[in-house]
Amino acid sequence: MKKILIIIGAFCLTISSNAQSKYFTKTGKIVFDATVPKSPENIDGTNKNSTCVLDSKTGDIQFLVLMKGFEFDRTLMMEHFNENYAESDKFPKTVFKGVIENNAAINYSKDGVYPAKVVGKLTMHGETKDMKAEGNITIKGGKVLVSAQFNALLVDYKITIPQIVADKVAKTAKIKVDCTLDPLGK
Amino acid sequence: MTKKEKFLTATLVLTMVAVLGGLYAYKEYNRKGIDIANAKAIYTNTSTELIDAFTHDEKASNVKYLSKVIEITGEVKKIDTNEKGSPTVIVGENSSMSSVRCNLDSLYTNSISTISVGEKISVKGICTGFIADELGIGSDVILTHCIIQKK
Repeated sequence: MKKILIIIGAFCLTISSNAQSKYFTKTGKIVFDATVPKSPENIDGTNKNSTCVLDSKTGDIQFLVLMKGFEFDRTLMMEHFNENYAESDKFPKTVFKGVIENNAAINYSKDGVYPAKVVGKLTMHGETKDMKAEGNITIKGGKVLVSAQFNALLVDYKITIPQIVADKVAKTAKIKVDCTLDPLGK
Repeated sequence: MTKKEKFLTATLVLTMVAVLGGLYAYKEYNRKGIDIANAKAIYTNTSTELIDAFTHDEKASNVKYLSKVIEITGEVKKIDTNEKGSPTVIVGENSSMSSVRCNLDSLYTNSISTISVGEKISVKGICTGFIADELGIGSDVILTHCIIQKK
């Protein structure tokens, strides 16, 4: 009987300590930028409702973004993005699942800026590809700030740019991530 | 009709088509987003029922609600103001992890001060999708460009 109690106790402890090691946000900012020097104007959209979860123990990091949540200055551009490029009705979500390679070097209990290398898989437009990104993890007052920028070659995700605008839209989209994560369970 | 008249008519018609086409293109190019205050909601229900619909059948609900103007009623669980100053009203049942997250339209962010946690409100906005609870933090239906319509 005692043994069982100890096991249950140990189990509960692992659960609670796991919960404390997780950080999350539902208001993460992600910018999609396909501007090239020849573009007549900026081609960029911002999503302010991205979900991000980070496990400080394992370094696992995950993002979930709704394609329809990207907002552009021009409604027409937003419609083109959703209908012609991202096909958001067919593929409403973009997901990134990865791990921080140098997680051991980040001290989550000490304020500071830590460079981070992330590797993982990005699923966009129904296609999954390996992805590498470099960025910063900033610890500030118990919060975790994740910022990174990486490039996605649109062809890899079977997103085709029509010939007529081929020199006005970038073939490689710049993706900027800017999230402030709170500890889970507070 | 003489040859000259024919030519003139043709030129006139072509010019009109070009001007109208140009006007249309210009208008399309500069078109702003939907005027949410005057838009009619295609769907009105409680926050719980909207979440249930998505939880039950996400695909069908995506077809039904994505990009559509929706009005929901429910209790304010939390008001989330991110550092950029665009507030999100989280509507749902306190007993449940799941909620409808309503991102206020930038023209109507001031209305955030008229509501408080625990109050029953109705919100109109554009549905951008559903984030299922894969991460252990509750499922969410996301509405953007929201305005608060108090009950």
